[in-house]
Amino acid sequence: MTGSVWELFFLVFFGLAAIWFGIVVFRTHSMVRSALALLFSQTAIGAMFMVMQAEFLGVLQIMMMATEMSVMALFMVMFMMDPGGMGAMEMSHQKRLSLRAGGVGLLAALAVSWLADWGPAAASIPDASRQVELLGIELLGRSMFIFESAGLTILTSMIAATMVAIAPRKPGGGT
Amino acid sequence: MMHGARTGMRTGLRRLIAGAMARDLCAFVVPGSDVARARGLDLARAGLHLAATPRHANVLLVVGTLPPDLRDAATVAYAQMPRPRAILALGADTLAPLPAADATGPLTQVGLVAALADLRRVVANGAFAAKVTDFDAPALQTRIEYTCPMHPEVISDEPGNCPICGMTLMPKEASASSPAAHQPKQSAPAHQPPAVAHAAHGHSTHTAAETPAQYTCPMHLEVISDEPGNCPKCGMFLVPVDAKPVGHSGHDHHDHHDHHDHSKHVATETPTQYTCPMHPEVISDEPGSCPKCGMFLVPVEAKPEDHSGHDHDGHAGHEGHAGHSGGPAIDGIEPHFMSMVNLTRDMPASADGLKMEWIEVPFGPFFPGLPGGLGLTLTLDGDAIAETRVQSLVGGSIAADGLTPAEFVERFADQSPLCRVANRQLACLALENAASVAPDARTATARAAAVERERIASHLGWLASFAAQTGLVWMERRAAAKQLSIQAAPVDQIAANAASLRAFLHRVRKTPLLRAKLAGNGRIGEGKPVVGPVARAQGVQSDARAGDWVYDALGFQVVTGTGGDALARLHQRCDEINQSLELIARAKELSVPEPQNIGTVTGQGQATVETPRGAAHLVVELLGGKLVTATYRPPSAAHIDLLADLIQAQEIADALVAVGSLDLSPWGLPA
Amino acid sequence: MSIAILLLTLTLGAYFIAVIEGWAVHGRFSLTRPALSAVALFGRESLLARTPDRLFFEAAPVLLLVAGLLAVAVIPLAPGLIIADLATGALFLNAALAYVLVALIMAGWGPNGGYAMIGGWRFLGQFIAYAMLIVMPITAVAMRAESLSTTMIVTSQADLWNVFYQPLGFVLFVLAAMGLAWLPPLDLPNAPGDLAGGVEAEYTGVRLAVLRLARMVIILALAGAIVTFYLGGWLGPWLPGWAWSVIKMLVVTTVMLTTGRLVPRVREADLLAAGWKLGIPLALANIFLVGVIALVVDI
Repeated sequence: MTGSVWELFFLVFFGLAAIWFGIVVFRTHSMVRSALALLFSQTAIGAMFMVMQAEFLGVLQIMMMATEMSVMALFMVMFMMDPGGMGAMEMSHQKRLSLRAGGVGLLAALAVSWLADWGPAAASIPDASRQVELLGIELLGRSMFIFESAGLTILTSMIAATMVAIAPRKPGGGT
Repeated sequence: MMHGARTGMRTGLRRLIAGAMARDLCAFVVPGSDVARARGLDLARAGLHLAATPRHANVLLVVGTLPPDLRDAATVAYAQMPRPRAILALGADTLAPLPAADATGPLTQVGLVAALADLRRVVANGAFAAKVTDFDAPALQTRIEYTCPMHPEVISDEPGNCPICGMTLMPKEASASSPAAHQPKQSAPAHQPPAVAHAAHGHSTHTAAETPAQYTCPMHLEVISDEPGNCPKCGMFLVPVDAKPVGHSGHDHHDHHDHHDHSKHVATETPTQYTCPMHPEVISDEPGSCPKCGMFLVPVEAKPEDHSGHDHDGHAGHEGHAGHSGGPAIDGIEPHFMSMVNLTRDMPASADGLKMEWIEVPFGPFFPGLPGGLGLTLTLDGDAIAETRVQSLVGGSIAADGLTPAEFVERFADQSPLCRVANRQLACLALENAASVAPDARTATARAAAVERERIASHLGWLASFAAQTGLVWMERRAAAKQLSIQAAPVDQIAANAASLRAFLHRVRKTPLLRAKLAGNGRIGEGKPVVGPVARAQGVQSDARAGDWVYDALGFQVVTGTGGDALARLHQRCDEINQSLELIARAKELSVPEPQNIGTVTGQGQATVETPRGAAHLVVELLGGKLVTATYRPPSAAHIDLLADLIQAQEIADALVAVGSLDLSPWGLPA
Repeated sequence: MSIAILLLTLTLGAYFIAVIEGWAVHGRFSLTRPALSAVALFGRESLLARTPDRLFFEAAPVLLLVAGLLAVAVIPLAPGLIIADLATGALFLNAALAYVLVALIMAGWGPNGGYAMIGGWRFLGQFIAYAMLIVMPITAVAMRAESLSTTMIVTSQADLWNVFYQPLGFVLFVLAAMGLAWLPPLDLPNAPGDLAGGVEAEYTGVRLAVLRLARMVIILALAGAIVTFYLGGWLGPWLPGWAWSVIKMLVVTTVMLTTGRLVPRVREADLLAAGWKLGIPLALANIFLVGVIALVVDI
């Protein structure tokens, strides 16, 4: 098989894996399994990026999602009842709204991907190291403002969330 | 024949594996490596590795005769070991209910080495056997406890329903020998539903405005009452009928598109179908219990009159975990949504304000780093201590009736393997006090030197346990080696090794980051009954040696420290080691206390001796030269009671270090 | 061919790490004990706890091993001797090692037991402490090399090794690496004195063998990373490149395994405070310093 056939095969494989893990997120009763299934779904997407030769993006996706979803697993254990799923509880809420929102989202994504003008497909792409270079120049050039302000916003919200979460101390001790 | 063999034919590969196992013996020591060291066993030199958990061990090393409670605990540990597993018993009379030992020997280092050689042969030959009988014992039976999945603090010995939410209690396994019969613990009772806080949900005009202060049950809406209380059907606390009768919601999860002026129906209408809040697929025509989880079924909202042709999906009103007085309804979420914030409102919170599930974890009696034989069961709230239960599995008083003085001294010394010499001294002095004889100065000084030698050994043993707890392997090895070398050493050898011992202690004190680990940890408040090095580290001048003429002749002065935390206790024990070295050097002679001939005496005698853990007190009664009763007050008795307060709400690692710093000895405590 | 050499080096390196760790823990240097232990482990029962999350329990050691192997794949032993020379090698190393966290969470959650559970979540707390400290020094290293490829990072150190150029980053990275491999004093997840083995406590038999092997591979990968990023990889006189790599990796491993045990286990609260209040500002200062130096001096 030629290279592009292998690429297509892996693309489909990781795509299906991502979808399958995504379904597992909602089918399983265990909260921790749900969180880690989401993690592996994102990993599959990262692998798809790498198959599509967007190496930096793929590696970054894999790295960030591992840590983020693990912290999410921790929060699920902290805040949700029955994180082990032993009681087979119905954990989903607002089903109708979710279905509708999901449907709308799907239609929007499909509309964007089919109807937007992506320009002509590139005949060849720079290799990975050149991509990283170009990405760096882009980040510090045209996109600097966006990324810096996004970074500052995230930092501010982190600090604010932490401060809000700390319970005020009553005079005399105790929370 | 190895009782703990694994099933399998002895093929060539298995023989190879068995040979490897025989050379890679990993031991789990019962009652603990502190006891093994105190008995003079050098496990490292014999080539045994020690395991932190029975799952990683393949040899159960039994040191000395174990009391029955400890044998049961050892059986549980043995059952946790993966096969092939072996038992090596040194100086143990009986092992039941454990199976027979695969290798035995006397309780000496030579005996250990010989028994290990035997054991290696047994393992190499018997690790795999064609037919193996399974191992069972009464101590391994488990008992079923029942707990509520939503409220883990509710525990009952019988099946039933949770008093808080009504769910059927789920079975959970617990050890049959654990303290029985939990009283069904309830969370703080009677949190009245919060005052009516009408969430503005954009529905004006409801009947609630016209009928103020009525109360209903979240799960049984047909129950209306004029005053707060409990629902007669399920016991749940009644919530005020607020402006949000069930079934209306401006909440879009119902497929009621035109929901704006709902009529207020439910209070008067009888719902026709019932469903389970947690399993919406269960639909029933009459109230009852959900077949899957046992919760009381809730009425499905009926169609209000002004809705046209909506199809209820059967679980509209109570998606999620209803059935709890979950507080005021929140916009955008279905009514009686089981918000975790509300559900855990009354759970005890740890110091950082987080409420987490409670799990009960045993930290004894064979936990590495803690004193062997101390049964510590901690209820952890996350990783902080919520409750403590302490029990000595090696306690109990000795039956002294009818013993001759010599026998009594031996038995009494054997009762506490961690301070045998001090106990011998205590028994001898008590007997001599009863007979009103006193040993001459030379014997007394030699005895005192023996007690001091044991003090050094005991403190070094504590240091080794502390190092095991905190991961300082070099310190553990060196302290253990020094303890073993000094335990039975004559005076001149002690003097020769004194300098290296002092250098070692200096290095211990200078360990980097020791202060960060220990400072402020394990502080006991003022005015508590503490004894021994723990008291002296607080600055309390309490030492039974202070008034003793023998010690005065040796120039003894009470050494105290400041701070009273784990760091101060470490320094205190190092200081006491240095002091004991000096006392021994001045005494120049050393001999283990032996009972003198006291003739046939009748009367009472008592004595107090400063053991390495504090002052111990013994009262004996004699009749015609034989013992009648002996009352013993061990030093750790006072500290055990302080334990629960000491580690309350501490993080688990800090709590274990605090417990270790007390240097408890469970031997001889009331069981 | 090169892959075969690399795998051989990997195996021998992992074995050597086991020998060194045995020496550090037991005080005796035994070349055969790890082999005996491994063979013995294969003959022991693989026990399963009651009501475990079976999927996680089984998957955790395997995921740990996969993470370690992926991380090792981007370490260059010599100019051509690398399994996968990715253009984003340094970042990929980090991505692979992030799955150590996922594996330990699975290992903690799986057995449904108190010790393992606490150990697993403690590791997440430890991770939050060291996570930034393992990424930010890599940023500074990549700045100097003007590339994320591990091979380029090594060649950029031809004039001056990064350990002299960026000592602050080196110290932070080594500490973070010890946290990631849960080496003492940062061995909170398996804390032999606190948790009786913690995450590793419930594993026996073959699963334990895989877990221990995975840990050796991770330590090896981290040693390789330290050597690649800071100690000049294969650069050195007289000996061939791969020999230098191997020697440096073994030295780094020995230092990591032995010096950590001189200090008591760090308290989790102290670790988090130190990581965030001290570590992150230092890491940022390191990036700033390296940036200034890179602009001013021509190395």
